[in-house]
Amino acid sequence: MDHQFPPRLFPSFYNRGPPEQLPRGRSGGWGAYGGVSAQGGSGPLSSWTFTSRRRVDGEVWRQTEPLPVPLLSPRKAFQEYLTPPDPMDFLSHLQNFFIDDGLDAFRCTSEVLGENFYFKKAKKKEKYRQGSVNMWRTKSYIDLLKYKPCPVSNPSRSLERFSSHMSDVVHDVPLELLGSLLYEELTEQRERMQFSERSTGGALAYVPFSQSEGCLLYPGGLGMDRLHFHKVALQNSCMDASSSEPVSFQLKAPIRQISCGSVLGDCCVAVRSDYHCGVWRFGERKQPCLLQVVDAEAAATCVSVSPHVLGEVLVVSESGAANLWTVGRGLQKVRTEESNLYFNAKSPWRWCEFSAHPRVMVYADRTGAELTDFRAKASGAHHTLFRISSTSDCRSGERLLLCRYLGDVNAFHHLVATQAPPLFCHVASASDRGMGETTKVLLGSHSSQEITLLQYSGGRLEACSSRGAPQALLRPSDSLTHLPVQIPHRQQAAAQRLASPAAGLTCFQKKGGAEDFSLCVLQLTEVGDIFYQILERRPPAEDKSGAPEAQTSEQLQVSNPARHGDIITAAPETPDRIVCLDSSTEGAEDERGTRKQLPVAFNDEPGLDAEVCGGEEVDRSSCWEAPLTISSSTAETWKLWLQKLRLTGQNQNPEAVRPQNFVVQTAGLLQAADRDAGGELDEPLRREMKGCMRRRSLLLNDSASIKVPLTVPALVNAEAWTDALSDRLTAAWRGEEEWQAWWRDQLGTNRKMKADALRRKRRMQKEARRAEGRRFQLSGSFTSSVSYQTDLDDPFESTGWSSAVSQGTLSDEEGGAVLESEEDRTLPVTATPDPIRTTTPQKYTPSRPRPLPPTQPNTPQTPRANQRSWRPQDDFLSSVWGTQDAPPQSEEPPQSEEPPQSEEPPPLPSSWFPSSQSGSLRPSLGSLPSSQASQSQRGPSQASQPKRKKSRMGF
Amino acid sequence: MESLDEHFNLEDESESSDDSSRNRHKSKLPLASPLCAETKFESGFQKTGRICLEHIREAMLHHKWQEAAEYMASYTQMLEDRKRRSTSKELVWRLSIEILHHLSNSTVKDYNIIYERMKHSGVKDYLTICLEHSFHLMLHGQIEEAKQQLSVAESWRYGKESISQHQRVKLIQAYRSLLDYMIWCDKKYTLTKNNSIESDNQGMQTLFRQASVNFKELLRNPGVWDPFVLSYVEMLEFYEDYEEALNVLNDYAYDNSFPPNPNAHVYIYQFLKRHNASEKKLVKVLKNLHLLVPSHELMLEYSFLLLQSERTSDFRKAFAVLLDMLDFACWRSNLDVWKSLQDAIHQLLSQNEGQMIIQDYMALRKDWWPKLHFTRSHAKKDSEENAKLLEVKASLAEILCPGRALRYTAEPLPT
Repeated sequence: MDHQFPPRLFPSFYNRGPPEQLPRGRSGGWGAYGGVSAQGGSGPLSSWTFTSRRRVDGEVWRQTEPLPVPLLSPRKAFQEYLTPPDPMDFLSHLQNFFIDDGLDAFRCTSEVLGENFYFKKAKKKEKYRQGSVNMWRTKSYIDLLKYKPCPVSNPSRSLERFSSHMSDVVHDVPLELLGSLLYEELTEQRERMQFSERSTGGALAYVPFSQSEGCLLYPGGLGMDRLHFHKVALQNSCMDASSSEPVSFQLKAPIRQISCGSVLGDCCVAVRSDYHCGVWRFGERKQPCLLQVVDAEAAATCVSVSPHVLGEVLVVSESGAANLWTVGRGLQKVRTEESNLYFNAKSPWRWCEFSAHPRVMVYADRTGAELTDFRAKASGAHHTLFRISSTSDCRSGERLLLCRYLGDVNAFHHLVATQAPPLFCHVASASDRGMGETTKVLLGSHSSQEITLLQYSGGRLEACSSRGAPQALLRPSDSLTHLPVQIPHRQQAAAQRLASPAAGLTCFQKKGGAEDFSLCVLQLTEVGDIFYQILERRPPAEDKSGAPEAQTSEQLQVSNPARHGDIITAAPETPDRIVCLDSSTEGAEDERGTRKQLPVAFNDEPGLDAEVCGGEEVDRSSCWEAPLTISSSTAETWKLWLQKLRLTGQNQNPEAVRPQNFVVQTAGLLQAADRDAGGELDEPLRREMKGCMRRRSLLLNDSASIKVPLTVPALVNAEAWTDALSDRLTAAWRGEEEWQAWWRDQLGTNRKMKADALRRKRRMQKEARRAEGRRFQLSGSFTSSVSYQTDLDDPFESTGWSSAVSQGTLSDEEGGAVLESEEDRTLPVTATPDPIRTTTPQKYTPSRPRPLPPTQPNTPQTPRANQRSWRPQDDFLSSVWGTQDAPPQSEEPPQSEEPPQSEEPPPLPSSWFPSSQSGSLRPSLGSLPSSQASQSQRGPSQASQPKRKKSRMGF
Repeated sequence: MESLDEHFNLEDESESSDDSSRNRHKSKLPLASPLCAETKFESGFQKTGRICLEHIREAMLHHKWQEAAEYMASYTQMLEDRKRRSTSKELVWRLSIEILHHLSNSTVKDYNIIYERMKHSGVKDYLTICLEHSFHLMLHGQIEEAKQQLSVAESWRYGKESISQHQRVKLIQAYRSLLDYMIWCDKKYTLTKNNSIESDNQGMQTLFRQASVNFKELLRNPGVWDPFVLSYVEMLEFYEDYEEALNVLNDYAYDNSFPPNPNAHVYIYQFLKRHNASEKKLVKVLKNLHLLVPSHELMLEYSFLLLQSERTSDFRKAFAVLLDMLDFACWRSNLDVWKSLQDAIHQLLSQNEGQMIIQDYMALRKDWWPKLHFTRSHAKKDSEENAKLLEVKASLAEILCPGRALRYTAEPLPT
């Protein structure tokens, strides 16, 4: 019945000439009728009926799920950047090129110069390199470049000199040329990303075999260069692609477009990549087989399979030549167009489609579309089908973007899209061409993934009119908002994957019964993911037609239960399935307030699994909207999909190629000190703690946890810390008197008194010796002095000596650990002011020998050696943090002699701290006799001190 | 549809899209500006309005009409923005009307309020809104009110007439005349029913005169005027002004400034048939239609007419017409066409040069007709759907495509 032409068309003016320059209304077709046509007239005035060009009533479709569902599990794919490159940013791109592909950029010059440069770090050059330039300093500077140092504070003079001398000869490709080429390339890339005209038409096709089964054709593989023929089936509102493995063919280049045409059950598939086109043939029972491949001289822009004759394909390339390709016989040029059709649009894009006549094609470019008869040799036999002009309501700058022959719907219908950038189009024809059913047009855009559903009817007995309002379908990039939140970086990776531009669109209809219509829309993205969404139509019985005022606002309707033929069960326990609006006739503000949830009835379908499909809402008819919650099977599919995406994403780590920055070693950072010892013990305690937190009760001591020994930090070995600060603190813990004595000792105010005491003592000893009549060796004098100290129990002297020694040898550095780790490893002295240093791991304790008696001169070495052994000398931070939680080192097991915990060190003058460290005290100390002997005395003296270091933890 | 270009079009915001050289990142493909675009200098108020508009559009595209209505209630404040009042005014009335279409509790009063308020809040869109308002009234059966609206708009004048305004005035006049014609039809109906009342005749005359002036005026402008032409011709025929009626139809069909419209030729053909014109005239009209639409359903009649004449040249023409029809997908399995082709071939073959003529016409088709009509799949399909068609086609296969090993046979196929 396609030969019927509407007996009367809607009236309109015919305006020739270019489109209007003025910006006009930008609301599209919304809210306008656009013209009416009247029927009837044989009877009275009331017998007339009007039809508008834009009809308000249309079919009402809604999604069965609030988000599209992935059909295939994610495969590894190369994903382009989502943000287009900035052409002005070519400097950084050049830099990347030089760093990544240095050989390509500098090979020739580097070979010439290489003989004269010497990169090894050596004081003496090798003999044969006597005349070469030493470059190791430059090299080390360049090595640092990967850390992005500050260029101002970190210049390299030699490098600057080299660059000023040789910058114009060092590049293999002249820099000006390279820069301009790169700029061009980036500009083109940017344009391609914004509007990828090469993927016009889309690389996704569906060939139906039966009502619910068919073959899906899509590209796959890392470069989208593998053609898959995959049998899929639509079952119970979800698609099943797992029943069979796809048949696939590896191609040479990425697939841009797949065009299908079937004649009486035989299907012909043409595939376009940039410079190749191939044709496959397959059927329901025929395996796909490749028939022929042709190469194109210029990039092919369109391939189109004939719906009339099997094996005829139209191929158009950017050169403007349209070829009729009869498979098996080769190409026959049918039209060549050097320039654009109607005006110069500066675009090489061409498009071709067959028409109702097998020997007439539509030849289109950005300016319009023409009908061309192959048979006519004369060039004048073209008829304008469409052109950018004011009669088609085009605006200035508007271009033709897509042209499609809608042979399945009506043999004489063509779709020409200009207004927005749709690159993909699929049309679902009205099924039985029955009354009231509309033709569904799906338009898909590229980068924003948008799909819009439009409807129209007519074309035979009545003029074509658009029906209903355009409807936006779901986009994969929006689906994460409906899914459970993931860890941010996974969320980001998934979002990035889902946001990749669309690459194809197709759909098919399924008619289960008289009132059961569903529409399955499939969308392909550039990384090869396919998402589908199923739309169901509101049964026409519910379609509200006629005057809207006929309805009362409080009317509630139960949706037709006969749709599934099953029992309706009231399920008030699932009130969140669908939120209904109870709108009032008052203002919009009131309506929001009176929103309420109503009990929901849903079909209890016995044949189905746990999935609650298509909850039926008790609802106003205006509330035929997509459900708000995800069915369990969809949630499961998404969960699996995201998991698999994570697995595929593990190998390709974009972080790896970034320049490395200075990295803080995290090994051992914030680790429990003694996991194997304390881990199991802590476990019940932790559990109890958690339980208490959950109950919001207090963790009491009488709980079972009391049997767990609380790990009290072990006592600190005061002797291990021989610097001035440690000594002073040790003294301070003993009380104010000792502390003051220490200060007196330090400042030398008691020197005279001590000297007197010493003299007196010596005198007494001499007298004693004389009395004994024995002679002493020199070393004996030291031991005697030690014994003197211990006897006297006067710490001032010993600390005074030791501080003098330590300050002298360490040459007044503070925070000594850093320097110690770098330079002074040989020095046994660990003079650190850090109170944390007073702790050492407990594990050394058992094997630690008790301090030797003070009579041995080398005893002071022991604690220092121990200290070094547990501290990783090369890493300051880990040494600091690694010991933080460690129980303090102690030479002996904890003793009962607990230090006075409440005792606080006396307040110190703030100016004191730096001065004591920086050696301002040295002049006074320098006058003291300092010798190696005195140093050796110090250790034993401290070893005899009581173990009180634990109290130092207070600092 | 508007939303599709939003993503793409964010930076194509220069008012005139032609001076693209200044625009650094200008795309090669200039597109229409989007519905709501951010501009460089916008106040907080404008920004709020823009965001609100985005929400409205999103809600409308997802058919959340209730939500859209709630936003729309706030968006009307944008009418207070002086700078963009004309833009936002058009948006307000269009979007509001669209939302009202889909809200189940909207009333005629709501529509009227929107139309009237928007109509009178400026001069730019007055005529457009009047026209749309009258369409709305017509669609809801309020023909009298619609006519009143159009009459008011007809007498409205403001400033100089721009081209678009001129066209809108013409459309308003034409639609008012269409309504006049309907009332005229109504009166005609009562006239024929009652058969006596004289007073109505006067009214009909007035209506006819008013309408004919406007129709005549409108038909001078190139365009598609099918409903108006039909109404005008019907009235002219009623008053027996056949000559004028034919003139109107001829002008409509053969004026080259008009877009090609098959209906214009169909109207002439129907008119001539109504008035029992000669076959020659009919054939002439159909010949013109054949040039324009070789697949038109009247071509079957054309071939009948040609076959009825006794001349060889007409047989040849009929043969060509039928072959042309069979090229098209919609006629390929039509039994009537194949039967007519059979007749034409028989007629031709009875002549001397028949075989030659057939070969001449088939020469252009010999490489694709076998695949188009005479494959085994076609035979299978035809035997399942229409056995008679199979018979007719099979008898013609050898004549049309001689020397080709066609698998299209009337015998039952081995399965």
